[in-house]
Amino acid sequence: MASLAAAQVQEVRSITRIERIGAHSHIRGLGLDDALEPRAVSQGMVGQKMARKAAGVVLQMIREGKIAGRAVLLAGQPGTGKTAIAMGLAQALGPDTPFTSMAGSEIYSLEMSKTEALTQAIRKSIGIRIKEESEIIEGEVVEVIVERAAGGGGARTGRLTLKTTDMETNYDMGTKMIDSLLKEKVQAGDVITIDKATGKINKLGRSFARARDYDATGQQARFVQCPEGELQKRKEVVHTVTLHEVDVINSRTHGFLALFSGDTGEIKSEVREQISGKLQEWREEGKAEMIPGVLFIDEAHMLDIECFSFLNRALESETAPVVMMATNRGITRIRGTDYRSPHGIPLDLLDRMIIVPTAPYTHQELREILNIRCEEEDCQMSADALTVLTRVATETSLRYAIQLITTASLVAKRRKAAEVSMEDVKKVYSLFLDEHRSEQFLKEYQDEFMFNDAAGDAPQLMEVTQ
Amino acid sequence: MDNQTKVLKYLISIEKLAEEIITDKREIVLLDKRRNQNREALRDINKACQTKCWVTVGSVLVKHNLSDTVALLEADQKQLNIDINKLRSNLKIKVNDLRDLEMQPPVPGSMLVPLSDKESEGLSNVGLFST
Repeated sequence: MASLAAAQVQEVRSITRIERIGAHSHIRGLGLDDALEPRAVSQGMVGQKMARKAAGVVLQMIREGKIAGRAVLLAGQPGTGKTAIAMGLAQALGPDTPFTSMAGSEIYSLEMSKTEALTQAIRKSIGIRIKEESEIIEGEVVEVIVERAAGGGGARTGRLTLKTTDMETNYDMGTKMIDSLLKEKVQAGDVITIDKATGKINKLGRSFARARDYDATGQQARFVQCPEGELQKRKEVVHTVTLHEVDVINSRTHGFLALFSGDTGEIKSEVREQISGKLQEWREEGKAEMIPGVLFIDEAHMLDIECFSFLNRALESETAPVVMMATNRGITRIRGTDYRSPHGIPLDLLDRMIIVPTAPYTHQELREILNIRCEEEDCQMSADALTVLTRVATETSLRYAIQLITTASLVAKRRKAAEVSMEDVKKVYSLFLDEHRSEQFLKEYQDEFMFNDAAGDAPQLMEVTQ
Repeated sequence: MDNQTKVLKYLISIEKLAEEIITDKREIVLLDKRRNQNREALRDINKACQTKCWVTVGSVLVKHNLSDTVALLEADQKQLNIDINKLRSNLKIKVNDLRDLEMQPPVPGSMLVPLSDKESEGLSNVGLFST
């Protein structure tokens, strides 16, 4: 059954893969070796060695739980792999460490206040680990005997024989257990667990030894191994949940379903305080462990001064995640003020941060990245086409060149060619303008457009406005 | 030469610990087997209407008083429960020690104190625990 489920999951994945391919879908990790030295090309990462090494050090610190309440800033020009490094870090952290990714502008579009959105994001990035323990009886049913007392209607008695590969034993059952056994339709050959505390019966499946009992089986028939070892086991399950999940569940107005719809609304601060208090209690009793995760804010310059000062304060808290920000701005105005500051981030917050710079890619690295993207998009490209594409990437931008991959492969498909040739790339290059050529074109034919502004100061308008 | 003895020492320590873990697991199975047999015996004594019963001590059969037998069995059950729990708790420490020797991080959350029944029931009722 497990393999069947896995196969289904695989299928679902491959379907989504055909539908869409994300810009960073090729990233599978940071591409570091055990000594944190970056490999030249690994796990979808190319070049940017210093930044990757720095991210590796940060990763190590997160794993050891040392860097909670700090912030990391990834700064660099557009298209130098800031988001890729954050994604790689998330992948390298593994599924057990919470990683929340949000764009700076997201906080303006949610139906809640800015600080609420930030608080939720912060609490989504803190995990708690708790353990559930139960005594269960697990075994394969050898025999179920139910006897009705004479005279009808009277008390019934029953006997259940269970076995594992190592032992076999009988259990006498009362009316209640018989009822729940009958309700679950337990019969000889089933593998079941019985919770000792609650008496809940759980059917795991049928034993492999009984696989040939019938010729036709229902679709639900699931075969499992006969359990090993002792009959009465202690089952321990470790759960990792985020603080935000606990918040949502305990906020009575929403309930659990809000987690799936994403429509959580605002959560009262009293609820949060109660939960933090309970968590503190659990930690003191050794019942819970906190896992500080990572909150990644892309386009951090879009946050305004209120958010920055809120973050500044939030980082002081004992339960703070590692906040990672990425920005592509130089010295610019801080949103919400008239002051200018490096990266558009106030100096007091900047002071708390470790700044990791990313540098533009070299020619060779660009070629490598384009090659990886071609593989990711299932696109065969000839060597000279790749050379042309690399030149395009150096002269215009990496993003533009990556977009040309998809379009060029479509052109090649129209030609019914298996491989994208240089001509295909040249054709799409002439069909689709890059930012520079588009700007040139606009300058030339400005008069013929509507609402033209003769000053032509489009680049200045790019700066963050109120 | 020095290196070789070091490696040998290291391997011996790993093997020793692993062997201990396997023995402990085996021990738990044997103890649980006895626990279940005792439980069956206690149940049968309850149903029986004689005043005496046969008890095996090693390979000798002894005819024994019923009430004394029940007391014996119950004491044995108690001791078995204590032993099994002790073995289980030590097993966790040993497994983590072994992982430490093998340069692997300890199993996450294995050393946590479990939530009380009420707490875990509450949390699973609201659907926080999916399994």
